[in-house]
Amino acid sequence: MKQPKEIFVRLDRCMGCHSCEMACAVAHSQSKRLYGALAETTLPKPRLYVEAVTADNKAVPILCRHCEDAPCMHACIAGAISRSDAGVVATDKDKCIGCWTCVMVCPYGVIGRHMQELKAYRCDRCPDLETPACVSACPSKALLYQSADDYSRGVRQTAAGELLTGEGG
Amino acid sequence: MAQKQYLIVGGSAAGMAAAETIACLDPEGKVQVLSEEADAPYFRPLIPFIISRKKNDRQIFLQGQGPYGSGKAEIRLQTRARHIDPDARAVVADTGESFAYDRLLIATGSRPYIPEEIAGTDLEGVFALRTLADARKAEQRAEVTRHAVMLGGGLLNLKAAFALLERGIAVTLVVFSPEVLSQLMEPEDALLIRRALDQAGLRIVTGAAATYITGNGSGVTGVVLDNGEEMACEMVCIGKGVRPNTRWIAESGIDIQTGVVADKFTRTTSPDVYTAGDAAVTFDPITGEPMVTGLWTNAVEMGRCAGANMAGRPTAYGGTFGILNATQVARMPFVAMGVVHTSGTDCEVHRRQTTNAYRKLVFSPEGDRLIGAVLVGDIGNAGLYRALIRDRMPLDGIKGQVIDHTLHYGHLLLATRTMTPISA
Repeated sequence: MKQPKEIFVRLDRCMGCHSCEMACAVAHSQSKRLYGALAETTLPKPRLYVEAVTADNKAVPILCRHCEDAPCMHACIAGAISRSDAGVVATDKDKCIGCWTCVMVCPYGVIGRHMQELKAYRCDRCPDLETPACVSACPSKALLYQSADDYSRGVRQTAAGELLTGEGG
Repeated sequence: MAQKQYLIVGGSAAGMAAAETIACLDPEGKVQVLSEEADAPYFRPLIPFIISRKKNDRQIFLQGQGPYGSGKAEIRLQTRARHIDPDARAVVADTGESFAYDRLLIATGSRPYIPEEIAGTDLEGVFALRTLADARKAEQRAEVTRHAVMLGGGLLNLKAAFALLERGIAVTLVVFSPEVLSQLMEPEDALLIRRALDQAGLRIVTGAAATYITGNGSGVTGVVLDNGEEMACEMVCIGKGVRPNTRWIAESGIDIQTGVVADKFTRTTSPDVYTAGDAAVTFDPITGEPMVTGLWTNAVEMGRCAGANMAGRPTAYGGTFGILNATQVARMPFVAMGVVHTSGTDCEVHRRQTTNAYRKLVFSPEGDRLIGAVLVGDIGNAGLYRALIRDRMPLDGIKGQVIDHTLHYGHLLLATRTMTPISA
């Protein structure tokens, strides 16, 4: 089976510009356009979060890892969370009862709460797009959409390149 | 290798989680689940939605939902296990049938505790909501109910109370403790929730218990409290906690201490017999104290662990908090976990109250570890606190963020790069 793509974060490249959040919110709006999204009665919400760690002067994009052993999916008392064949852990809005058990067990804090609808929401990896909106929007390529194998190959190649450079090769 | 025969007694959270795990790890194995209920497995925490009529039976059935997709287990309904014969490696059911096993899971859950001192609990219209069948009866009884009295101020009764309120029925909640939810928080932690409950139209009587329930040919007619108050009502719901279902194995020689005793790998004292869920004794990962819990989420976690062990993948069970609850009542979300009862202890406690939110963060007496949290109104990032508590994470440099409730995963990510965890 072909290895599904995931969203990887390269922490050293994030400048904290929040472009990904904006793109995510727009991609999950009714109109799918920035100006249209701003006019919607329930403002669309981003499903990833660029948080600041002031002590380290660092911005950290945080998003659902679609964990292999997803605590949210097993903790859900309504059977609303399941995993697709592509590896995406998704919350079925119709089944969600807004009990927030998933929020209580998510160690990344990436499950949002829609307080009007009383429904949980999270990253769905933009099923209708070739590349998730946040990844397309990132100007510094801090977010990558690749298979795990491709990503680790990239890390190895970069490291090998740096080693060679260091040795004056 | 010969096909393994897995037998699971109990078709709810722990049993079905184990069945699903076994189906994944040993696809060749044969999994049988015995359930005494007439209904196929369902999400038990959803039964209040049957009473409120917001969901029907079909919407709460478990198979094919969430992670329960394999459908590989053979489920025998209306089959109540009578006893275990460890020498014959078989379980005998009340139908007379005998079910052989190579690996057995005791996941018989718990039953409602009905205080003996309350007279009249066998009247029609008195419920201790546990099963889908109970919920259906309550849903019907609600048709002829103008006023319902709930005995006990825990989560089950609060959820049932709101289901009845949504049906236009007047509801009175009678609590022996000074405040609702006393198992999950201290009275001053519950102020915001209490206000929301009051505003939602729930009548609450605290510091009182029922003495007896009155009735006639058509069932319940009223409740008499120990403070002398008499209330006319057509329905009574008893929510006084649960007790493990272990009586059926009392003669088996398996060690039972309130619940079925399990070792670190969810094994009982009998060979190839495992246990999980409400029926089992679990332990607090912080104190190591043994305990029984009655929580769906805990039962699933232990059930998955037992399933892995049964299928030949040794998996240590890490225990759980006795208090690990998230929910929303009267549009007020809250989370309570870990150590939350701090009166009379020397724990370091930080409280913060605003108009719409309250939080209490409980640290060890030395102040170096988070050991419990109550979040009301704003429960964002609650999972981070759970991770901090469970993993005994050192708080160097992030304690301020914990107290201010500004903690996010970025703090933990950068912190763990420079720190080594405190060894357990």
